[in-house]
Amino acid sequence: MRPEVLHPATLSDALAALAAYGEEARPLAGGTALVLLLHHRLIAPRVLVCLEEVRELRGLQFAEEGIQIGAMVRLQELARSPQIRERLPALALACQEVGNIRIRNQATLGGNLAEADYASDPPIALMALEAILEVHGPNGPREIPIAEFFRGPYTTALEPGELITAVRIPLPPPGSRMTYLKFRTRSAEDRPCVGVAAVVAFEDGICRELRIAVGAACETPQRRPEVERLAVGRPLTEAVIQAIAQGYADQIETLNDLRGSAAYRKRMIEVHVRRALEEVRDGHRSFGADAGC
Amino acid sequence: MAIGRSVPMRDAEARVRGTVAYLADLRLPGMLTAKVVRSPFPHARIRRLDPRPALRIPGVVAILTAEDFNRPGAPRLFYGVDRKDQPVVARDRVRYVGEPVAAIVAETAEAAEEAAQAIEVEYEELPAVFDPLAATKPEAPQVHEDCPGNVFLHTRLRHGDLEAGFAAADLIVEETYTTPPACHVALEPHGVIAQWADGRLTVWSATQAPFVVQETLAELFGLPREAVRVIVPPLGGGYGGKGYVRLEPLAAALAWKVGGRPVRLILERSEEFVTLTRHAACIRIRTGVRRDGTLTARQVEVYWGAGAYADITPRLLRGAGLVRVVGPYRIPAVHVDAYGVYTNLPPAGPFRGTMSFEGAWAYESHMDTIAHELGMDPLELRRRNLLRPGDRFCTGEVIEEAFFLECLEAAVRCVGWDQPYEKGEGGRRRGRGLAVMMKSTLPRSRSECRLVLWADGVLELHTGTVEMGQGAHTALAQIAAAETGIPLERVQVIGPDTDRVPYDATTSASRSTSMMGTAIREAALRLKEEMRRRAAPLLEADPEELILQGTGVMVRGRPEVWIAWEDVLRRHGLEALEAHGVFETQGGLDPETGQGIASPHWHQGAGACEVEVDIETGKVRILRYCAAAYAGRVINPALATLQNEGNVVFGLGQALMEQILFDQGQPVNANMSDYQIPSLRDLPEVLESVLLESPEGSIHGLGEMTLPPVAPAIANAIFDAVGVRIRDLPITPEKIWRALHGE
Repeated sequence: MRPEVLHPATLSDALAALAAYGEEARPLAGGTALVLLLHHRLIAPRVLVCLEEVRELRGLQFAEEGIQIGAMVRLQELARSPQIRERLPALALACQEVGNIRIRNQATLGGNLAEADYASDPPIALMALEAILEVHGPNGPREIPIAEFFRGPYTTALEPGELITAVRIPLPPPGSRMTYLKFRTRSAEDRPCVGVAAVVAFEDGICRELRIAVGAACETPQRRPEVERLAVGRPLTEAVIQAIAQGYADQIETLNDLRGSAAYRKRMIEVHVRRALEEVRDGHRSFGADAGC
Repeated sequence: MAIGRSVPMRDAEARVRGTVAYLADLRLPGMLTAKVVRSPFPHARIRRLDPRPALRIPGVVAILTAEDFNRPGAPRLFYGVDRKDQPVVARDRVRYVGEPVAAIVAETAEAAEEAAQAIEVEYEELPAVFDPLAATKPEAPQVHEDCPGNVFLHTRLRHGDLEAGFAAADLIVEETYTTPPACHVALEPHGVIAQWADGRLTVWSATQAPFVVQETLAELFGLPREAVRVIVPPLGGGYGGKGYVRLEPLAAALAWKVGGRPVRLILERSEEFVTLTRHAACIRIRTGVRRDGTLTARQVEVYWGAGAYADITPRLLRGAGLVRVVGPYRIPAVHVDAYGVYTNLPPAGPFRGTMSFEGAWAYESHMDTIAHELGMDPLELRRRNLLRPGDRFCTGEVIEEAFFLECLEAAVRCVGWDQPYEKGEGGRRRGRGLAVMMKSTLPRSRSECRLVLWADGVLELHTGTVEMGQGAHTALAQIAAAETGIPLERVQVIGPDTDRVPYDATTSASRSTSMMGTAIREAALRLKEEMRRRAAPLLEADPEELILQGTGVMVRGRPEVWIAWEDVLRRHGLEALEAHGVFETQGGLDPETGQGIASPHWHQGAGACEVEVDIETGKVRILRYCAAAYAGRVINPALATLQNEGNVVFGLGQALMEQILFDQGQPVNANMSDYQIPSLRDLPEVLESVLLESPEGSIHGLGEMTLPPVAPAIANAIFDAVGVRIRDLPITPEKIWRALHGE
């Protein structure tokens, strides 16, 4: 049966619709994942609550303390936004690496997070950026730090009837440099075999704070604070970089899939954590003229 | 002149805008939807099949099972090109995951879907075998009762004294190469609409072989050929996957069961992966060579994993499966043993570059191994051994048109083979590779066409050649225009429709431009002769005195005595003037020795590339690729170049990423997210195309020539860069990384 599609214009209408239909309803954002699930009959909801017209879910807001991204903002918009590219290049890079332009023009950041595909780029960058998810549901609004959001592949901390409404990203400390590296083993449109996001705050060449998130090689994007701390208070020397890369490779439990074996992924984590840190240390990654096309 | 001009493909804009009417766009009154119920097991006995729960679902019209074929007047259950081993729907046994066990016809897709779930089938699982080599072992489960050992055909090629050849060698190199099953991934899936009316069957099918479909259906239903009509709308790609007979028997049987209403069966993407695959091939190749690089003997043993049904494999094994695995070399002694092997996987069949892809993967990688062991430049080794005009191939036939070396040299020129080369240090190393191939086309096949000149000056070309996006109808119209002198914009292409156009064997093996093109030339000659005969009394001259000029006829030496073609027709009271053209190739190989004529002419292509390997990850980047093909005479340079470039992109996917993965016979990546094909961004940074022409050359097909060299050229470049030899496709980063890091 084809599901009925509802088009609420406000957040409260959307939440009400989700509450009314309960498990028989699914929210529809960009549809790049959901429509495939429908097509393959992996889900069969009676109602789809289309979020396209919900105005509270739109827009980018830039403030002193951070950036707020509406859940329905398209990945391509994030990849192309001059402010995002300027202030949060790791996020812009991660969004620009997703699929192809047709996917990015359709997929939304909220939908991407809610799907919780383990092999996806934006969640890895958001993990390193310590994003906070704003969520609304039958019991009102709440915030979920991204580190607590992913519970497993395709599994999140969202309760029934809850919607991600926005993603808030605190601005990284001054003097920060960041990057996102995607490693593909098949086509240029493939999901990552390994994704690494790095955010490092420097002060006079000394590393004040370091955040590394690794994903796609494991069930959820992950950070290892105890390994990150190896860099704090030190310059990012080869030895420090190697120790961190090794630490991530050793401590992350990797998985097997069509993009690579678990053993291969361990080594690819090591290589790409190292490369990400080298890039951040050298600080020369910039957007090319054709980036995102 | 209409030949040699880059006129745009006739339906290019319509294809891009989405206005081409594909099979899926066809809507017939009262049309029903079909859905196939497929086996979930790779090998099982069907213990019970109960369609009744499905029949009770509203909207379900009929359910076809093997039982229906026992009824009086029923079609035959089994079909096949050579071995009639494949049931339209499984009777008591299933042999691969995805095999049809029943089919539903319903008013709506939803009802058909629901019914497919409701059918009750009880299976008893049987042991299964998936690897072609393992299938030949005595302890292997038997896929067909009548085929112990699972080898349904063993063909041989015997040329020269093999023992003496190896005895004369200073070095003998032996290697094994494999290629996995792959999916054609035509953008348009397989689809058929079938309808019975007044004892006549009409089939609209996305097929590359309308006349084979017609013949097979006529045979299955015990009808004269004329009682079956096959109409082919424009295809959205074929690549061999729509060659021969696919869904048509099932759709026709469903239509027969419902009697009268048209039945439409269109596959979903996932079903494409279990409908037809490339062969899983295992090739053992052993070559003797003298220290100076002269080849003395070659022995090739090929196991062609054909899946659960033989399909076209037996026919291929009597020609292509032997001669396409040897290589374009002068070798005094060659033995080939080709085995067609049943396994519990979906049937395998034609696949762009059929068997040449697998063959070249083995023999061209192998040639570089030989060169390496001899300490010889790979180009030099080939120079010494490539077939030259007048040389004898291992089939005993003399090769007259031989441009293998020219192709290879044109390709390597683009990568500066004779220049000093810097492979780089540190984490990224560069390397260069080359490969060349020869491919037979179809011997003993026929193409016919009809030219109809209407009184209003429109020329119709009636042809069975299928337009599948390759631009065949454009190129054929150009040939018709050039051969008749009629302006290209007045040439219309009609067909394929078996009621309206004369016979053509198939649109495959890169044969259409060459063979149908020659038939068109024949027809044009006859049409012009007829025109002269008709014009002669009107001009009060002898037909021999008349020459055709433009779209008129004039008396030689007297241009003022002239009559337009239209007027010739009008004055004879003719509505149209018709001429028929036929072109047929001969040949074939002796079944015991593989000696004879394998091909009326040989497809020749080469490739050279430069790659960069990331040592830490095994990832390969193609920096530059040059594809060179012998084209004879080019009809449409733009379309020819697109074919050539398309070969590289297609080959790149086969080389680096494409493979249908099976876990105990279950396909695990039967969708476009898990089965990856190259995107535009995977193209080499520089992609060059060279088409070698010769003034007196004939027309050569170009749809495949430069595809088979892609995988070995890349593998050879990787070897050059990092010293790692990959022998099992696809060449994934992880395979290179494992070879580099000894894990």
